[in-house]
Amino acid sequence: MKIRVKAFASIKDILGFDEKELTVSDSISVSDVVALLEKCYPGLKTVQDALLYARNEEYCRVDTELADEDTLAIFPHVSGG
Amino acid sequence: MKKVIIQQEAIDVAKYSCQLGSDADGAVVTFTGRARNMSGDKAVEYLVYDIYNGMAINEMQRIVDEAMERWRLGSCLVVHRYGKLAIGETSVFIGVSSPHREESFASSRYIIDEIKHRAPIWKKEYYSDGSRWIEGQR
Repeated sequence: MKIRVKAFASIKDILGFDEKELTVSDSISVSDVVALLEKCYPGLKTVQDALLYARNEEYCRVDTELADEDTLAIFPHVSGG
Repeated sequence: MKKVIIQQEAIDVAKYSCQLGSDADGAVVTFTGRARNMSGDKAVEYLVYDIYNGMAINEMQRIVDEAMERWRLGSCLVVHRYGKLAIGETSVFIGVSSPHREESFASSRYIIDEIKHRAPIWKKEYYSDGSRWIEGQR
């Protein structure tokens, strides 16, 4: 299945992209995707404990399962205002 | 009136302020967040805000809905900038109105605190010798 990964702020710098489409196996979780990304982008490991996730524009947990055409956003703790 | 806006252009505080309130409202409270020239002991030259547009609108709308459920408000307007901000420019504007002042003070405080914790927006500070993403409290 296909998912779209979006990255923001410092995570965008670490991954080197702000949006990317990935082809992944069915029944994949957020943590599985992060593990896949860590293989290509080791810098992601250094901030693993500080990551937040959103599935289709809603905050989600790291054990959330993704579905075909989902958008997974990965970002650090927010600092707006 | 209930509205959430994100915009790249400068926030016209006077324009937004005069949209608030009705004859039933005895109080209007506005909060303006501004780009500060110091971060700790480092001089800041300018800021850049990154934003997850759709999710930020949804999350701020949810915060406004929560405030309007919790307090009796006549109007509620939230405007947040993104992109590059010069020092002194307004980064966020919150305006609320209510029959009595307590609701306006409490709700505006609630809204800015929740935005800082939940809205997917990130600030990057630029100094003369580099830059740094600011991460909020966990």
